[in-house]
Amino acid sequence: MARFLPLRVTELRRDTRDAVVVTLQPRPEDAGAFDFTQGQYLTFRREFDGEELRRSYSICAGRDDGVLRVGIKRVDGGAFSTWANEELQAGMELEAMAPMGRFHTDLDGAVAKHYLGVAAGSGITPVLSIIKTTLAREPKSRFTLIYANRSVNSIMFREELEDLKNLYLGRFSVIHILKSEGQEIDLFTGRIDAEKMAALFENWIDPESLDAAFICGPEGLMLTVADSLREAGLEDGQIKFELFASSQPGRAKKKAVSRDSAQAGEATEAVVTLDGATRSFRMPKQGETLLDAALAQDMDAPFACKAGVCSTCRAKVLEGEAEMAVNHALEDYEVAQGYVLTCQCYPLTDRIVVSYDE
Amino acid sequence: MEMKIEDYLAQGGQLTSPGNVPPRYRGELMRLMASFVDSELAGAAGFADTINDAPGIRNRIAAAKITQEKLDHAGRVLEVMGEFGADTARYDTRHDWAARMARDADLDAARHGDDMRLSVFHYPIAGYVDAVVLNVLMGLATVVQLHEMGRVSYAPLADAFREIAPREAAHVDLGLKGLRQIVGDDAGRQKAAQSVAYWLPKVEASFGQAGSARFEKQARLGLRHTENETLREDWAGRVADAMSPLGLG
Ligand SMILES: Cc1cc2nc3c(=O)[nH]c(=O)nc-3n(C[C@H](O)[C@H](O)[C@H](O)COP(=O)(O)OP(=O)(O)OC[C@H]3O[C@@H](n4cnc5c(N)ncnc54)[C@H](O)[C@@H]3O)c2cc1C
Ligand code: FES
Repeated sequence: MARFLPLRVTELRRDTRDAVVVTLQPRPEDAGAFDFTQGQYLTFRREFDGEELRRSYSICAGRDDGVLRVGIKRVDGGAFSTWANEELQAGMELEAMAPMGRFHTDLDGAVAKHYLGVAAGSGITPVLSIIKTTLAREPKSRFTLIYANRSVNSIMFREELEDLKNLYLGRFSVIHILKSEGQEIDLFTGRIDAEKMAALFENWIDPESLDAAFICGPEGLMLTVADSLREAGLEDGQIKFELFASSQPGRAKKKAVSRDSAQAGEATEAVVTLDGATRSFRMPKQGETLLDAALAQDMDAPFACKAGVCSTCRAKVLEGEAEMAVNHALEDYEVAQGYVLTCQCYPLTDRIVVSYDE
Repeated sequence: MEMKIEDYLAQGGQLTSPGNVPPRYRGELMRLMASFVDSELAGAAGFADTINDAPGIRNRIAAAKITQEKLDHAGRVLEVMGEFGADTARYDTRHDWAARMARDADLDAARHGDDMRLSVFHYPIAGYVDAVVLNVLMGLATVVQLHEMGRVSYAPLADAFREIAPREAAHVDLGLKGLRQIVGDDAGRQKAAQSVAYWLPKVEASFGQAGSARFEKQARLGLRHTENETLREDWAGRVADAMSPLGLG
C-alpha cells in the first residue's frame, strides 16, 4: 500500500515566469526509498480545503547529480501547481511516495547508441533526467533533443541545457522549436506536426541511427511524433512515452451526502451507472454485494478477485451510504472521496447512487 | 487545444501512469491484467506436478523452468496492478491456485469460481504427456495473445508483455522438444493424440466468442486490436504447423 514520506524543500528556484524548480531532501533513513531511476516521477499529496489531492511530478535530476529535484509548471487554475509556484518555499515540507514510472531504457556503459528526446513545455523534466543520466553513464552514446516551446522566455532549463551541450561537446545537441517566435531557420518555427518531423528526419536527424526515442508532451504531440518515428522504421519497443495528462479527481465535487447512515428498510433502490448507461434496481441490504447485484442485472461491471484485494471493482458512491466488509486496496483518501470496492460493498441507505464512470 | 483522453486513445495514444487513467479504462485494464495473472498462477500451479512426473533430469529441469517463469510473469504483471492499489502481498494468498474441477466437467468459456483464470485452467492435467501437450497448445495461444497484448495502450503493461513474450515462446520450444521424444514410439504417439483431442477444443475456447461486445469496448480504449476470430485462426495455423510434423495434425 502506498506510503508517503516527508521531503524537505532545500531550495526553490524560479526557472521561468511560470515554473519553479524544487530541490528536495529525504530524511537519512528514507534515502534508499528515494533512490530513483532516470525518468521516474514522484507523487505528492496535499490537502486543499480539507480534501486530499495527489499530483505527480517527474524528477528532472540525473541519477548521478546526488539530489532529488522536480520542475513544476503552473497550469491555469490548477490547484497544486499554482500553490507550488506561489506559496511553496525553502524549508517547507512535502510528502511524496517513493519514485515510480518506467519511462527509461536500461543503460550500458559499453554501448554507443543514439537517443532522441522529444519534449514540449514541462515535458522536458523527465527527459532532462534521462539525458543527464545517459550521457554520464554511456560515455560513447549521443543524445538529440527536440524541444518545443511557445517562446524563448518559456523554455524551462534553458541554461542547464546549454551547459550540458558544452559539457558533452559533440554528444548532445538541442533543436529548439518555438511556436510564436521566428528563428533563423524556418523549420524551427511553428508547431511540431508530421511535416516538420519529416523535414527534421530529412535534414537534421538520421532516423536510422536512432536506437530509442523518449517522448513527453501533450497528447497530440505524442501521437504525431510516435507516428513519424514508426514511419521512419522504429519499433514500438523503441519508443517510450510519458504522458502528463491527469485523470485524477480534481478539486472535488464531494458526493451529495445524506449522512444519516443506516436506514431502517431491508431493501435498497440502487442506481448504477456504467459506461454512460444508468440502471435502477432493488436489492437487499444484506446477503448480496453491490457488485453481484449489478452483475445479476446483466451489467458488465468490472471485477477480478472479489476479495477486496485488487481494486478492479472500484466505483464511486454519489448518493447514499454503503459499508465495505473488507478493504485491502483503497486508501483512506479514496474512501473519503466516496470510492468503494463494490465486491465488498453493502448498502446502508434506502437509496444508493453509484457510478463506475467517475 | 487539450485533447480528450478518449480521442487520444481512439487514435492509438498510450497512457503511461495510473495518474493518466480514467475510471472505466482502469476497470477494463485491471480485469485484463487479473486475467493474465490468474491464468499464469493457475497454470504454474497445475504444471508444478509435472516437475515430479517428467522422465529424466533434463525434462524435470524444463518443467521447473516453465513453472518458475510463469510465476515470475504473474509477478511482473501483478506489480503493474500494484501501482493501481492492488495488494500485491495478499493477492496470491487468497486462493488455491492448484484447485481443479473434474476432467470431464463441461465448462463454457465464461469464468468460473472466484478468480479470473481462463476456463482451460480449471481442467486437471493427467500425467506427463498430457502436461506437455497442454503446454504446447496453450503456449501457442499465449504467444498469439501476447503478440496482441504487446500493443495495449497502457505502456507499462505493453512493456511487461513484450518482455514476457520471448520467454513464453521458449516454453513452447521446450514443450515441442518433449513432444518429439514422446511421439518417438507408437504408445507415446497414441497417448499424445488423445491429449490433443482433449485439450484442443478447450484451448480454442479460450479465444472467446466471435464478435464479442467486450472486444468493441476494449478496442475503443486501445486495449485490444485484433478480433478474437483472427487470433484464433492465427493460433490454429501455428498449431497445425507445429503438430503435423509430429504426426499429430
Ligand atoms: C506521470 C506524470 C508526471 C508529471 N510530471 C510533471 C512535471 O514534471 N512537471 C509538471 O509541471 N507537471 C507534471 N505532471 C502534471 C501534474 O501532475 C499536474 O497534472 C499538473 O501540475 C496540474 O495539476 P494541478 O493540481 O495544478 O491542476 P488541477 O487542479 O488538477 O487542474 C486544473 C485545470 O488544469 C487542467 N490540467 C490538468 N493537468 C494539466 C496539464 N498537465 N496540462 C494542461 N492542463 C492541465 C485540468 O483539466 C483542469 O482544467 C505530471 C503528470 C503525470 C501523470
Ligand atoms: S474485485 Fe478485487 S477488490 Fe473487488
